[in-house]
Amino acid sequence: MLARIAHELYWLGRNLARAEFTARACDGVFRAELQSAAETSPGVRFGWNGLLAMLGASGGALDGGEGAAMLRREQALERLTLDADRPDSMLACVERAREGARTVRDVISAEMWEAINATTLSLRRDAAASWRLPGGAYQASQYVKQRTALIWGIAERAMLRDEAKRFLDAGGFIEVADMVLRMLRVALPAGAASDGGGAAAPDPAEARADGNAFALLQAVGGFHAYLRAVTAPPNAQPVARFLLFQRAYPDSVAACVDSLHEAFAAADASPHESKPVLRVSRLAADLEFQRRALPDGAELLGICERVQHELARVDQDVAERYFAGATGDVARSSLHATGGERNAVAA
Amino acid sequence: MPEATAHDLFYDELFEPGGAPRRAAAALVAELERLGADGLAEAGRRRDAAFLQQGITFETAAADGSRSLERPFPLDLVPRVLSGAEWSHLKRGLAQRIRALNHFVDDVYHGREIVREEIVPWTLVASRSHFARAVHGIRPPGGVYCHVAGCDLVRHADGSWRVIEDNVRTPSGISYVIENRAAMTQLVPQLFAGYRVRPVDHYPQLLLRALRSVAPSADSEATVVVWTPGSLNSAYFEHAFLARQMGVELVEASDLVVRDDVLYMRTTRGLVRVHAVYRRLDDDFVDPLEFRPDSLLGVPGLVRAYRAGSVAIANAFGTGVADDKAIYHYVPEMVRFYLGEEPLLENVTTYLLHDAEVREQVLSRIGELVVKPTGESGGKGVCIGPHASEQELEEVAAAVRAQPEAWIAQELVRLSTVPTAGPDGVLAPRHVDLRPFAVFGERIDIVPGGLTRVALEEGSMIVNSSRGGGSKDTWVLEDGDDVADRAGPPIADTTPPALPDLRYGTWSSQQQQQQQQEEVR
Repeated sequence: MLARIAHELYWLGRNLARAEFTARACDGVFRAELQSAAETSPGVRFGWNGLLAMLGASGGALDGGEGAAMLRREQALERLTLDADRPDSMLACVERAREGARTVRDVISAEMWEAINATTLSLRRDAAASWRLPGGAYQASQYVKQRTALIWGIAERAMLRDEAKRFLDAGGFIEVADMVLRMLRVALPAGAASDGGGAAAPDPAEARADGNAFALLQAVGGFHAYLRAVTAPPNAQPVARFLLFQRAYPDSVAACVDSLHEAFAAADASPHESKPVLRVSRLAADLEFQRRALPDGAELLGICERVQHELARVDQDVAERYFAGATGDVARSSLHATGGERNAVAA
Repeated sequence: MPEATAHDLFYDELFEPGGAPRRAAAALVAELERLGADGLAEAGRRRDAAFLQQGITFETAAADGSRSLERPFPLDLVPRVLSGAEWSHLKRGLAQRIRALNHFVDDVYHGREIVREEIVPWTLVASRSHFARAVHGIRPPGGVYCHVAGCDLVRHADGSWRVIEDNVRTPSGISYVIENRAAMTQLVPQLFAGYRVRPVDHYPQLLLRALRSVAPSADSEATVVVWTPGSLNSAYFEHAFLARQMGVELVEASDLVVRDDVLYMRTTRGLVRVHAVYRRLDDDFVDPLEFRPDSLLGVPGLVRAYRAGSVAIANAFGTGVADDKAIYHYVPEMVRFYLGEEPLLENVTTYLLHDAEVREQVLSRIGELVVKPTGESGGKGVCIGPHASEQELEEVAAAVRAQPEAWIAQELVRLSTVPTAGPDGVLAPRHVDLRPFAVFGERIDIVPGGLTRVALEEGSMIVNSSRGGGSKDTWVLEDGDDVADRAGPPIADTTPPALPDLRYGTWSSQQQQQQQQEEVR
């Protein structure tokens, strides 16, 4: 297939997954933030400012220390969900997904295009009206969660399991892994149980650092899965291990890396000589090794950072090998172009 | 806005008698005014749609009584606000009361010291319908009987709190507390601005921890289950909710079996031992060998396993004797007797009717009092004097004379009011009570607030949801949050780490796109 098409599909998958995770995170975090911390265990602090930090500086989320400090809660929520001028907003992700889908309309089914298009149109239309109201951002998040599930469902049932589907999937998996790692890096308290003491008597500071991680689980959407899979209370350490290593949970980093490997191995003409396949394969093995070798209570932030870095290199390998070197640049320009194009169409 | 006359009779929790908002409620009242009646009505419509969609409903009989209707659970969008100081008083009072009730259950089935001291008459205890001879002499792990308790509180015209009823069998409603809060944060997040409201959603974890702490399992992680009578039970929503939130199995009687005094559940991998059961059905039905022999919902041999100490049951069998309405009268005495403390929460003035003199006095002014059957719960059979017809009063008087031990009389409590939105979003004061939920494991934890039930009819004091009552989200504020003007929640104290930038896919350059567009033109 054309390198350009593969590239668009891969980024369609990434943008869909990013929109969904932004929606989930906003819903979970902003609602938890309305209340104070639980009195029994203050827990992990994963608030909306952390959410902004999660998206890095380029998104314009934290442009300048002063500006960020002045940001109000409502503005932050709006910025993350329905602000069309911000490249990292949920709406912008959906807009980019629509642009991508429009480019590959001949590859994806009509039904899928329609689902993506309808989602974008309805977000655009209602963003101006009903979803500006207080509480509207939550409804918009809810809507995006449901619609992305629908879109992925259609892809699953209607698309051939060919190269095109593999690239779409791969984009989704790498984005989910990246988003989960970002959340962990922001939310995990630095130096939580760093000495790996295991069942040592908890000193107050450590107990606080390992407090409950409800907000984190809610933000990922894995609360129920966690409760079924893990008997330990939802504290920072077991939750982080779950989100990193639990292969049975589809949105865990390990499961995403596995699926990513599968997708590239199937799409690649000669997977045994393919740099991205080999790199992902090594990463999967490393995650499995860490899961088994790490003692309880070991520090996990370093692993998160390394895995995220490795995934960024996978992204580069993918661009080089499959997309004829088109790099995934940090490009605000692309969004402005999208916005401009939309205006042009409207004119 | 509430009328001035109502303030002379009832305590309004949001407004002072003059009509000015109370200190803790000022920010809330301002937001409510900004929202307006139309805004509230609109949020109400969204709430009903969301509740129907999520299946948070209850069934009521249709007007003609022929079939049952599924209605969205009636949540009023105006929250009730309790200050941190008020709550810590309530919390201490409740913990004290629950500790005393737990002592009483232990005493009744063991030494009976309170009877020998002639504080509570034995004939009264033994005649209670929930007194369980089958569990005499059994002491559960940790000596905890009332793992889950919910005492109903009301607020008098002077603003003081009273306990009106204890529930130490299977109090329900906690799922609505949690779902109400979730719905409020979704529907009207702006009301929370300027407050730090204590969360409630950790209750399932508290319960799970308490159940694990009393489970008799030496080596492995204890297996905990929630036991429901079945999906037709009116509280099934709550049973499923708790099982899901705790991540444990929801079992019915047919899933459980006792072998050699050990309780097991049937799984695809054979029998698996169960260490702790959170049961949501009455003593009468749990074991046909010891309680009602015709029970089809029970597990034969369960009491034997319980007696052998191989399984923890929450709440323990026989706790019903402590929340009987005739025993309620003695709870303040229990606090003094077992704990050597003065009760922090008072009872509503109650009359026991076995004494002929008291009985006749009560019957002479039955029109002013509230008369309740002792063994019932959920507002069943309650007769409120001022609201009852002549005929109803006569029937109740006859029933009391026929069986005086089965009834009590209480002074009428003028329940406090909270402004409540009608279908059109207009606020009017409605009467409320409060049911906080406590979990007793290694210690007593009480979820901040609890279920506020509200009578939706004007002037009505019947708050039961089966009889037209609704509910409210109950906010307990952090200490110091009841100050009138306070800035919004502070921005994070810690600086989050700098993360790598997000990446965006770019295939064609900007220029290329512009050229393409020019082509179109």
